[in-house]
Amino acid sequence: MLKRLLPLIVAACIVFSGCAAIPSKTPANTADPAMTGPVGQQGAPIDGESFDADTDKAFDDDFGGWNDDFNDWDAPVKLIADPFEPINRGVFWVNDKLYFYLFKPVARGYRAVVPRPARVSASNFFNNLATPVRAGNALLQLKLANFGTETYRFIVNSTIGVAGLFDPATSVAGVRRVPADFGQTLGTYGFGHGFYLVLPIVGPSSLRDGTGTFVDSFADPFRYSGVATEDLLLIRAFDSTNRLSLDRDTYEGIVRDALDPYLFIRTSYAQRRLAQIGEPVYNLNILQAPVFDSDILNPLEWFRLWQ
Amino acid sequence: MAITKKLIICLLAFFLATPVYAQPGPLNAIESMVDSILEVLDDKGMSLAEKKAQLSGYAHRFLSIEAMSQRTLGDYWNGATPEQRDHFTYLFTRILEETYLNRIDDYSGGSVKFLQQRVRDDRAIVDTMIIADEIQLPVQYRMVYEGGSWRVFDIVIEGVSLIMNYRASYGEIIRRQGYDGLFRLMEERVAALTAG
Repeated sequence: MLKRLLPLIVAACIVFSGCAAIPSKTPANTADPAMTGPVGQQGAPIDGESFDADTDKAFDDDFGGWNDDFNDWDAPVKLIADPFEPINRGVFWVNDKLYFYLFKPVARGYRAVVPRPARVSASNFFNNLATPVRAGNALLQLKLANFGTETYRFIVNSTIGVAGLFDPATSVAGVRRVPADFGQTLGTYGFGHGFYLVLPIVGPSSLRDGTGTFVDSFADPFRYSGVATEDLLLIRAFDSTNRLSLDRDTYEGIVRDALDPYLFIRTSYAQRRLAQIGEPVYNLNILQAPVFDSDILNPLEWFRLWQ
Repeated sequence: MAITKKLIICLLAFFLATPVYAQPGPLNAIESMVDSILEVLDDKGMSLAEKKAQLSGYAHRFLSIEAMSQRTLGDYWNGATPEQRDHFTYLFTRILEETYLNRIDDYSGGSVKFLQQRVRDDRAIVDTMIIADEIQLPVQYRMVYEGGSWRVFDIVIEGVSLIMNYRASYGEIIRRQGYDGLFRLMEERVAALTAG
């Protein structure tokens, strides 16, 4: 199986290296045109106003990466290339119809029949089973604290949490899930998106993240559980319906408010992925300090001690 | 002698810094904004229309509409005539109001944690965390010091900047259809939002 996968990874690597850049660190003016794509106003410095980053060199040096948040204020919008926009818009249109006329009605019916706690439990169950994806990628990204968190959560939730139906790791110990996927792993090692892709049914993705999703599917326990392919699809469909039933009309809101929902979602997606790849802005220690000052229950602390 | 010199410099620095730092800091500004908003939202005795009017007033007090409009257009702001700027600012304000004031029905409780503020010159970043049900949502406010107070010009939710979203869409629309094309789309959207 790995043999089949390798050429794909290598091919992907070659494609990516053409447009590889560490996005958050790229200075505004030296933006690689390949990364800029049709979204940005390329090259030209954005708003020639008083916020001038390079006068504060000394300040930056004092605080290191602390100031990145300030410096990206005036960066041009160079988020994701979209050379296949007409095709993507086509798929987006189909997905939109599928959402409104198939998935959403089904999810609404399901929501009417199954009470919320059961749906939350189903969602917990699937999240728990997806631990290998998150833990594996945390390891690949050398984020040992996150790996520890996921391992801890898996052990606690699989036992005390009755096979993952409940999430005592969050509700009792305050240890939250740390999302991680292979697209993100590629991103942390400097791979760019390549280009934006709207996948049928799945939705927004990119060459990099789509490859990531494919690679991640090999860490899916269902794949090795011996269920038939049709059943596997059924399980996926159930998982998606369940998740949709817990959603509070996010997509409806975007469609109602945005001038062009396609552009809005493309930008949100690119920004969100960039944030997931960058350093976390919020230190979990700060958040949990009031509740767990001693942090005996919090394995994040144990890992941070020697990391 | 050297001591007097230092003292004078210190005093000078103090007085120069005072106009900015004597004011309520950015974190306090965000705190009072959030508190005022939550107070309105939680008020059972107020009708929806009253709440909207009240919140619209707050928006003008705590947000820098001009900085938001300017940043949303980015380069295209500099290329616009004063009339176009005014028209854009008007439409953009209407869109923001219609979008977010129509959402107050969705509000169903929750609390906000104020984490930290970072200030540099006339800019500030305030980090907060919204906690509701099983969700924890990191929300970052980006602010400028303007007209004697700190005002918000961008809200970053889970790493997604609101203004960046608008800028990417609007810039693309202007590029393809010009300012008039953008204004037409915005007017249509305002009409649709007001009607629905």
